[in-house]
Amino acid sequence: MDRRNFFKIVSTASTGVLTGACGKKLDRYVPLLVAEREIVPGEEVWRPAACGECGAGCGVIVRVMEAERVVERQGDPVRERIATIKKIEGNPLDPVSGGRLCARGQAALQGLYNPDRLRGPLRRVGPKGKAEFAPTSWAEAIAVAAEKLEHVRAKDPSRILFLTGPQAGTRALTIARFLEALGAPPAVTFEISDFPIERKAADLVFGWKGLPVYDLANARYVLGVGADFLGGWASPVFYARQFGHFRQGRADLRGRLTQAESRMSITAQAADLWIPLPPGTEVLFTAAIAHLLLREKLARGPNGVPQQVVQAFEAFDVTRAVRACGVEERRLLRLARELGESERPLVMAGASVVQTNSLESVITAHYLNLLLGNVGKPGGVLPPAPEPIGGRPGFANALALLERTQFVFLDGANPAYTWPASTGVAQKLERVETLVSFAPFLDDSGAYADLLLPDHHMLEATAAIVPAVAPVAAVTLATQFVEPLYETRATEQVLTELAKKMELTFEPATPKNVLASALTEGQTWEEAVRQGGVWAAAGGVEAEQPKPRKTGTRRGEGPTAPALELSAPSFFGDTSQFPYYFHPYPSLQFGDGRAANLPWMQELPDPVSSAMWGLPVEIDPQNAARLGIRTGDLVRVESAHGRLEAPAYVHPAAIPGVISMAIGDGHRHFGRYASNRGANPLSILAPVWEKSTGALALGATRVRITRLASGRLIQFSVSDREQGPWGYR
Amino acid sequence: MAHRWGMAIDLDRCMGCEACVAACHAENNLPVSDPAQAAKGRAVHWIRVDRYYEGEFPEIRVKYMPVLCQQCDEAPCEPVCPVYATYHNPEGLNVQVYNRCVGTRYCGNNCPYSVRFFNWFEPKWTAPLELQHNPDVAIRPGGVMEKCTFCVQRIERVKLDAKAENRPVADGEVQPACVQSCPAEAMVFGDLNDPESKVSRLASSGRATRLLEELGAKPKVFYLQRGK
Repeated sequence: MDRRNFFKIVSTASTGVLTGACGKKLDRYVPLLVAEREIVPGEEVWRPAACGECGAGCGVIVRVMEAERVVERQGDPVRERIATIKKIEGNPLDPVSGGRLCARGQAALQGLYNPDRLRGPLRRVGPKGKAEFAPTSWAEAIAVAAEKLEHVRAKDPSRILFLTGPQAGTRALTIARFLEALGAPPAVTFEISDFPIERKAADLVFGWKGLPVYDLANARYVLGVGADFLGGWASPVFYARQFGHFRQGRADLRGRLTQAESRMSITAQAADLWIPLPPGTEVLFTAAIAHLLLREKLARGPNGVPQQVVQAFEAFDVTRAVRACGVEERRLLRLARELGESERPLVMAGASVVQTNSLESVITAHYLNLLLGNVGKPGGVLPPAPEPIGGRPGFANALALLERTQFVFLDGANPAYTWPASTGVAQKLERVETLVSFAPFLDDSGAYADLLLPDHHMLEATAAIVPAVAPVAAVTLATQFVEPLYETRATEQVLTELAKKMELTFEPATPKNVLASALTEGQTWEEAVRQGGVWAAAGGVEAEQPKPRKTGTRRGEGPTAPALELSAPSFFGDTSQFPYYFHPYPSLQFGDGRAANLPWMQELPDPVSSAMWGLPVEIDPQNAARLGIRTGDLVRVESAHGRLEAPAYVHPAAIPGVISMAIGDGHRHFGRYASNRGANPLSILAPVWEKSTGALALGATRVRITRLASGRLIQFSVSDREQGPWGYR
Repeated sequence: MAHRWGMAIDLDRCMGCEACVAACHAENNLPVSDPAQAAKGRAVHWIRVDRYYEGEFPEIRVKYMPVLCQQCDEAPCEPVCPVYATYHNPEGLNVQVYNRCVGTRYCGNNCPYSVRFFNWFEPKWTAPLELQHNPDVAIRPGGVMEKCTFCVQRIERVKLDAKAENRPVADGEVQPACVQSCPAEAMVFGDLNDPESKVSRLASSGRATRLLEELGAKPKVFYLQRGK
């Protein structure tokens, strides 16, 4: 479905006629819910929806067609015709996805039709953590939850904790209202996919609330530092679309990308040049570039940078960076010149693998952008679009909160998986008096729950979500159009019923009432539903030239502009015992682990190693040879806080001494496709946080690695396919 | 004039995200294997992303390259089929007729691109995963070969639409699932018989090459090399 055709559909739909893409006309208005009698066999209907797989919040369209399922009624199998979703594509009208979609977004379908979905409410019958549950009724489950919640609320409502995912929108707003009615503290997100470092840096340097928008499409020379923006970062589809344009979308103009990162990420491999940086040296690297830029008189906007920062850059000793980063000065100089001499230079900074000094490194990169004079300009760093509806959950280190909590709600958060075992998360969850999980699956944390109150899948839900990165103010809208497959219940409804039972004054946030204020002149709710969202100006990012906006920087305002700190990163683990850096990273296919139960993603060859059904530990050839490790061998990775076993992949482009591993495997409970498959690299991390945001420092743990035995790494394409273990397919 | 479908893949835009791989699974009802079968090399991906390492660390580069059936004009898979299950259709596609296939696997053996896959077993889906099946594409039974079709069902649908509206098929109107999904817009599909089509223009650009061109199979997939 392309933009033109989808436009045709949504515009004709407003007059009551919907054109099917197969050329037949449906002389009827497509109702919000596709009822059984409305389904025409063989006829397809495209409906807009929202992707809930990560925080990017892409708008999608789904293909709805008839299918048959067998259900049991009074002991007899009965065939039932239902409307089913056949395929997910990007919504061509959506400024984030622009009609395109990543692998994970397309696989959301397998979350909807996953055989391991919870089919109704469950209550715990065994000991906590053992995942023994029995079915219960919604009425009973809500009565039990209300009673326990009332008990805690009456004594001390501050002992109620709501842990959520990073997505902003009606769900987050509803939760905020519910907690307010309870008198409980606001919901907290403590997930690695919230990008707290990037948010905080933008706030400190520019005074921006939200993730900055990098105008990659219109830049000419880009220096990426620490952000795997084409992989598992803030908005992969948005930046991949821009990347295509950056490279080959402009006549006679090809953008050049240099990526400085401590791993050969997919962004680094797409780059024209990769600068392998030892973990945590990004800040020194960026400061050296800034110093050289000033020295070479190539800085265009030094006036925009606080004086003390310029002085710190000028006083910076480049040899410090040369030593720490292992990059020669003439190479740094060449980079500084390429940046400074480019007509539209841009530094894209982030912390895909958070270090203890990551905030400083992103701040330094923002100052570098100010020096280059590209802030608020086309091809530069643009301020985040205003969020038309509020409610983005706040990020906080929830560890201490969990310690003193009696009642925990979980929605979109899986602390038992994403928090290191060294935090004692398992014991803490076990100790919680009452734990209620809204996850549609039984996951690692759900195993500790007293009640599992499964939510609808995102594709069955009505919701408005705010994309993490959008070129214009945007809300992605999903309205329910297929019947929920099971006896699941929207969390908004469950909270409403809880509030009713507890006699609280509470009203959930529905897309219709929160969007009323976001609708611009001439827009109607019905139109928003048909288009799948509300956008300040619908259109692709490439198509429009972004207008220079006010930067809104706090430059020169003294105390608010952070001083430049260039501290060394801290690593935990004795160097003699644990000689290697450990580098767990959010993967393209699994993100922070929440897509591991989708069979397509398990069988999708890992972009690094081509591994399927189990992610490997990546080690450089030099150290591998020294330790006698070959690809496929079973290795043990040990930190002072735990150990894991997984197959090894000898990665020709791994930095010597840096052991990387994609996050995604090693779930204890997450359905048949993910449970007990592979190892969870997060589990062995030291409990170390970036001090200002409280974000988990993913890359701050040192490890040792030993070969255990020959093992098995399942790869789709090995380097020499003809010589593989099989002759032919 | 008959169509002659071809594809151009811009390796300067491609960054190996594998959105195309997932799109192909969704569109074409590809079976999902399991670890035991996958370890025997029986996982099926009609399109894959090959990776190549060049040089040694730190001066190392990785190159990614999506590889799918190259729809060769002189297809090595075709003459070896004893039952004409794989043949060349009038629009230049290497078509696999599933109900003719007897599973000799000669075609897979003869394909230099390793893009043909054999169904060793009857494919299975755990209920209710089968609800996502695309009704436009047949589920291949056990014992037959399968491979990329350039999403022939999408081609036929567009042709029917155009015919119903009494107009020619527009350039860019046919989009196989992989092309549709590609976030970087690295893939372009179209009619090579139309010299004005985007794919024709890209195929004759200086950056265009074909995979293993020296074998003389005359593939209809053109790779645009990365720029300098």
